[in-house]
Amino acid sequence: MEIKELLAERGLLIFDGAMGTQLQAKGLKTGETPELLNLTDKALLKEIHRSYIDAGADIISANTFGANAYKLSHSGKSVDEVITAGIKNCKEAIEESGKPVFCALDIGPIGQLLEPTGSLKFEQAYEYFKEQVIAGSNAGADLVLFETMTDLYELKAAILAAKENCSLPIICSMTFEENGRTFTGCPVLSEILLCEGLGVSAVGVNCSLGPKELMPTITELCEKSNIPVIVMPNAGLPDPATGGYSIDAEEFSEYAVKIAELGAAIIGGCCGTTPEFIRRTADKVKGRKYTHKKADRICTLCSGTKTVAVDRPRIIGERINPTGKKLFKQALINDDIDYILGQAIEQVNAGADILDVNVGLPDIDEKAMMIKAVKSIQGVTGVPLQIDSTIPEVLEAALRVYNGKPIVNSVNGEEESLESVLPLVKKYGAAVVGLTLDKNGIPPKAKQRVAIAERIIKRCEQYGIPKEDILIDCLTLTASAEQLAVNETLKAVREVKERFGVKTVLGVSNISFGLPNRELLNHIFLAMALENGLDLPIINPNVAAMTGTVRAFNLLKAIDINSAEYIAAYGSDTPAAAVKPTTSDITLEYAIDNGLKAEAAKLTEQLLTDNEPMSIINERLIPALDKTGTLFETGKIFLPQLILSAGVAQSCFDVIKAHLAKNNSETVSKGKIVLATVKGDVHDIGKNIVKVLLENYGFTVIDLGKDVEYQAVVDAVRNHNVKLVGLSALMTTTLKSMEETIKLIRENNLDCKVVVGGAVLTPEYAEKIGADFYAKDAKETVDIARRVATDNSDL
Amino acid sequence: MTLDAIDKKEALRYLGCKENIDNERMISLLDECEKRLISAAAPKYLYEVFPIAFELGGVRISDSNIILRGNDAAEHLKNCNRIVLMCATLGQGVDVLLRQLQVTDMASAVTTDSLASAAVEQVCDKAEAEIFEKVKCNSRTWRFSPGYGDLPLDIQYSLLSILNAQKRIGLTVNDSNMMIPTKSVTAFIGLSDGEVERKSRGCESCNMKDKCKFRKSGGHCGN
Repeated sequence: MEIKELLAERGLLIFDGAMGTQLQAKGLKTGETPELLNLTDKALLKEIHRSYIDAGADIISANTFGANAYKLSHSGKSVDEVITAGIKNCKEAIEESGKPVFCALDIGPIGQLLEPTGSLKFEQAYEYFKEQVIAGSNAGADLVLFETMTDLYELKAAILAAKENCSLPIICSMTFEENGRTFTGCPVLSEILLCEGLGVSAVGVNCSLGPKELMPTITELCEKSNIPVIVMPNAGLPDPATGGYSIDAEEFSEYAVKIAELGAAIIGGCCGTTPEFIRRTADKVKGRKYTHKKADRICTLCSGTKTVAVDRPRIIGERINPTGKKLFKQALINDDIDYILGQAIEQVNAGADILDVNVGLPDIDEKAMMIKAVKSIQGVTGVPLQIDSTIPEVLEAALRVYNGKPIVNSVNGEEESLESVLPLVKKYGAAVVGLTLDKNGIPPKAKQRVAIAERIIKRCEQYGIPKEDILIDCLTLTASAEQLAVNETLKAVREVKERFGVKTVLGVSNISFGLPNRELLNHIFLAMALENGLDLPIINPNVAAMTGTVRAFNLLKAIDINSAEYIAAYGSDTPAAAVKPTTSDITLEYAIDNGLKAEAAKLTEQLLTDNEPMSIINERLIPALDKTGTLFETGKIFLPQLILSAGVAQSCFDVIKAHLAKNNSETVSKGKIVLATVKGDVHDIGKNIVKVLLENYGFTVIDLGKDVEYQAVVDAVRNHNVKLVGLSALMTTTLKSMEETIKLIRENNLDCKVVVGGAVLTPEYAEKIGADFYAKDAKETVDIARRVATDNSDL
Repeated sequence: MTLDAIDKKEALRYLGCKENIDNERMISLLDECEKRLISAAAPKYLYEVFPIAFELGGVRISDSNIILRGNDAAEHLKNCNRIVLMCATLGQGVDVLLRQLQVTDMASAVTTDSLASAAVEQVCDKAEAEIFEKVKCNSRTWRFSPGYGDLPLDIQYSLLSILNAQKRIGLTVNDSNMMIPTKSVTAFIGLSDGEVERKSRGCESCNMKDKCKFRKSGGHCGN
């Protein structure tokens, strides 16, 4: 069975209505697991299925919504048993009716939120869904329905699990609120883009609201989706006082007519609907001729919360890339993901629409780092990502865990590259950058590059990649080396765009390599490229002139209507603030006390001209920090102020670190410390405060994050040869994990001390679970670290 | 539901500040954080009224198999025959904001975290006021939550399940019984046709009483 064929054959299809509402009406008790009735009350299930079949449903869903290993964990029944019975009841009801009705394996959310907000890992979610899909497919389901989803990431895990473990058609439906977004902030278009990209058969909306409130969402779905749309509203809005719903079967079916007119392909009901709702709906719309309209689509990328259409120049931020950046390389080696996140947020705030992510460095596990970087970055920003690697295995790992529709950077005209990368682009529904080079390198002439572009576009089409998702990079060469090539690049951009109608991308900064005043060349070249049809400049958005060039271009080309965005960006420019005391008037100590970051950094730079870095740290920074520390301990200032002051010291450390990196000197680290919020615990703000303070005092922190496996702590201690581990736990329920982590450290005979902290810990408990130290707050952790550092001069 | 202003005094108390502050930088930090928090928050709540039955070992909710175990919930619900079971959340947007701030600006992160803790209590207060415009009773208790006294935290999952909280407001717990989104509350309020003993929410009923940082410094958390 294939949904498209069924639609061609039968016209508009009818889905069934609520299961839970029917079960409650027949006496399901509060708090009981409805799916267990598959085993204990077959007759009841078959009766409900039959009532929907008789009402006119073409597809009915088995009672398997919550039959996953997490929700069934206390039931004593296996997923396989419950799903097999559920499908069997459904199929028996169909068989007994003698009607040509199909049976859907119905799958809802797992019941736990995924990372990064929740603690359920993407890979774990995939396993949960995989188990359900295999059970349902073996039991003979005709299709898989994922419904009531609110998290695009969970939906992606579900779709991949279905695609990779069965050959049934997949229908996906998410639950939207009146603002057109799900609880996790997912917009309708993100759902459409993900589902289309992953080859889903139908996409839509169910639950949460009635048909009236869902109209704007349904309209958007029908307008923008290139695959058939499914709609299953509730019976209006619920009344918390009575538990009833606000509209009746007749009114519901009248809305169904409007929904059919908007272009929906499949209509059913959700909470509060009954066979009567479905009967009246079927009477009015079942079998209407369904013709699919194809939406006009320009290249659109998305994350789980945001969509970016390339309907105008869009900035791709280039800064997440270690090439030529010592601090970035150091961060990768130290697993310092926060550094990368800082780079991400800075670029987004500066105006990046998309972020390029490249973490390739010879001595690191690029695949593991890429997964970590993608997962972490999408946890702090909704800007879509461009996954940048030369290794197909790394690209695939990132494509899997990315929440949305990304860009793959890149493929080139060589057959080997096309064959290894394009299948991945197709499978995961990404857009792709095609570099106009091949085994002979970058051709000098525009004409030759256009020819390679044509080849790439043809191959993409052969793989079924939609044309709008192909982005061609005509390659910027360095003006200092090949001055005449600049114009060839611009010519190629123009021609590729005009001839093939695809979007273009260009790394801009390379133009000025080896020349003075790079910023000037970069932004002029950017303006020239934009005028020649560049859509996606890859630039450093933190440079005001670069972002400004794009904004100015959008204004001058009447893309930025009424100059609104330009004015929003620059309109509030006020004259420089009143002159502060000149730097010569303030001391480093004054700056630290008063949170003056920029001044402190400037002062540090000046001090570095005739002072040793270590003496600045030990004689100026640390004493100043100690003073604020004492003020904090005596209650004169409190946590945010302590952190602000510490943050100033950090900016001084950064200056010193950069100075040392430039001079290839040793680092100034006072020692390495591993920090982790223990397994099962997701509240890590306390740990992060400790991290910031430790770094402010000059320690290097290996931050393992939250919900950390016991073994990961042991591995980090060993790999980094660390003498102090800090563990945090917020809840009584996770103290056990803390104890287990310490036990494992001891069992491995690691020569390191353990300091613990967290709201529910006491010194007595810390001692009981084998910790060496208890720290009541971040400041005390720093004191302990300094003591341990003195004891181990090689910490 | 919307949040207009957040109780900054309460947030400051969470930060360990006992008196009013006059530090200008701190005041403007609080204002900025409040603004961002309000725009990131999407407060929502849910409730349902259930009859209760007292049994050996605890209080049973309705005719379900969910029992509020231990002495403290039973003591709290003395003289009550129904409960309002409620849950509230600021939504995932606040978690995203807190993650962003922890990477870029820890002072704001700490301040926003405290403001969010104050805000979710405000949401509960507002929700309670709205609920009791509709639900009638002669008297009622204050809000009691899993983790208070000897009521175990592992009841969270069941309570959220019977409210259908994931489907209706996107609220879940993880394996460690932590609520996700993190700035969320589950609570119940006892309803009585007679009179309830409205004991103050003192420290004695709190399972944090031996570890509490407020008590150590001579104060209390306000509950």
